[in-house]
Amino acid sequence: MFTEPLDALLIFTVTTPVIGWVAYKKGYRKIQGIYAALGLSVTAYFLYELYKEVAEKGVVLIVGQLPFNPPLGACLEIDMLSVFMAFLYTITGLFAAVYSIKYMEHDTGLTEYYTLLLGMIAGMMGVAFAGDFFTLFIFWEFMCLTSYALVAFRKQRWEPIEAGFKYIIMSAAGSATILLAMSFLYGMTGTVNFVGLAASLNNTAPDGWLYVTLTLIIVGFGIKAAIVPFHTWLPDAHSAAPSPISAVLSGVMVQTGAYAFIRILILVFGSMQPMWQMTLAVFAVFTMFGGNIMALLQNDLKRLLAFSTIAQMGYIIFGLSMASLSGLTGSLFHIMNHAIMKGLLFLCAGSFVHQAKTRDLRKLRGIRKTMPMTSMFFAIGALAIAAIPPLNGFWSEWMIVTAGIKAEMIPFSALMLANMVFSVVYYLRVIRIILLEKPTAASQKAREAPASMLIPTLILATLCIIIGFYPGPFITMASRAAEAALNL
Amino acid sequence: MIPLVYYLAGAIALYVIGMYCLASKRNMIRLVIGVEILMNAAHLTFIAFSAYRTVGYIDPLGHAIVIMSIVFAGCVTAVALTIVTYAYRHYGTLDVRKLRRLRW
Repeated sequence: MFTEPLDALLIFTVTTPVIGWVAYKKGYRKIQGIYAALGLSVTAYFLYELYKEVAEKGVVLIVGQLPFNPPLGACLEIDMLSVFMAFLYTITGLFAAVYSIKYMEHDTGLTEYYTLLLGMIAGMMGVAFAGDFFTLFIFWEFMCLTSYALVAFRKQRWEPIEAGFKYIIMSAAGSATILLAMSFLYGMTGTVNFVGLAASLNNTAPDGWLYVTLTLIIVGFGIKAAIVPFHTWLPDAHSAAPSPISAVLSGVMVQTGAYAFIRILILVFGSMQPMWQMTLAVFAVFTMFGGNIMALLQNDLKRLLAFSTIAQMGYIIFGLSMASLSGLTGSLFHIMNHAIMKGLLFLCAGSFVHQAKTRDLRKLRGIRKTMPMTSMFFAIGALAIAAIPPLNGFWSEWMIVTAGIKAEMIPFSALMLANMVFSVVYYLRVIRIILLEKPTAASQKAREAPASMLIPTLILATLCIIIGFYPGPFITMASRAAEAALNL
Repeated sequence: MIPLVYYLAGAIALYVIGMYCLASKRNMIRLVIGVEILMNAAHLTFIAFSAYRTVGYIDPLGHAIVIMSIVFAGCVTAVALTIVTYAYRHYGTLDVRKLRRLRW
């Protein structure tokens, strides 16, 4: 119905409660996690099949069974960009699911947890596959709903509840703003199909309503993409959620906001390109500075990583604000690297939290002595995200900077370089605390993380190094996705 | 027939009221109601546009979107009220100003 990968994911989502019931009756506690990981692996396989089809045809169009053709009815439109994003979502979700099996073993409500996790990945994939604004909105709300419940999952503590309430109010206001923008687009053109919208809006001169709509779209999706004046939910929500969920939220879910910007601004608002380019570039600079400066002041490891996510979103939004092939390639390559690096960092931080029972950097001093492997992987991730040359983060950030110089946005590129230096400062501080300082009582009591938590971090750390040394094929993938985004 | 502009003005007024409610109210339940008002502002514009598309007919697309969106608005309210219930159990109050432990 919705292409094989999404169908498989939805089927696994609705059957997880059944498996959970069986597990409850039989007294097994790990089946749901294994089932969720299996579901995501099956999805990844189907996605590979879909990738081959897309590579052959260019665009795969899925129309519903109703007697409505695309300008009226809902449809899915899958091109290289959709498949690229869907791969990132699935792979990050898979690592999070495998990691959760051990991490969440002492929690109750595991069935709900895995159902919501699969549902969240399905929602993100639906956003990537959507061919019209309506489908995008439905899957967007689906993704948001499951993530609200996941952020507030450990409801017996005050922090997730408080963060969850803040998140739900801000994010729901953002969704309502998107819906209002969509209604204006519908009123102007009579359709919500992306191709139909592009056909009727790109040839007309922009009027006042279109400016209002553009503002609403930037605000609405900007809340999810954590652009700086609207970012306040992110550090709370991402640090209060269970660590595997933080990895998914921070690694890929904020990128759905960036994806929606790429799709909607380039396709629908082509006639107003100079205007939104400048707006986004200015917002991007604020976002970088806000994220990096706040990250300098943090003593909570997961909050520091969450603020760093805001800064990385600034780089990505700067890249896509150029709307050129090189800028978009850099942005998409950085989205991929960010999913890997931030996934790795949050999973390692989760291991520290799980074993040492604290997130406070002052108490995690010298944890290398007792958790050498996790600390080493964390250091690799931190060096990568601080853009130290032979690792993957450097290549994508450098691509964005050079694309900015090519697009004659030199002041913005210079500001981004300054921000890259900022991020080196606070990541080196974290590395120093974890690797070089004398152990505290809490870090001496910690033990090395179990194998099922080490393996996902090991794979992600290896990926950081591999992409760092052989960026070629991955850049080609990103540039094909960027071409699909620009040509359609 | 009443001109479309009146409906749009009403919807935008609703949107502004919703945003004002989110910005100024201290009761958590009122914040949830504020989100509902925001959603309904958007629904109202959809319905108005679908009625004025062609004279004498109603465009079904707008109605379909609104029906689906109402379902999601209901779900969001349900999840939000669940969180409010837990917050009440933790803090013993619905005043959102008491939820100030997460700063910076």
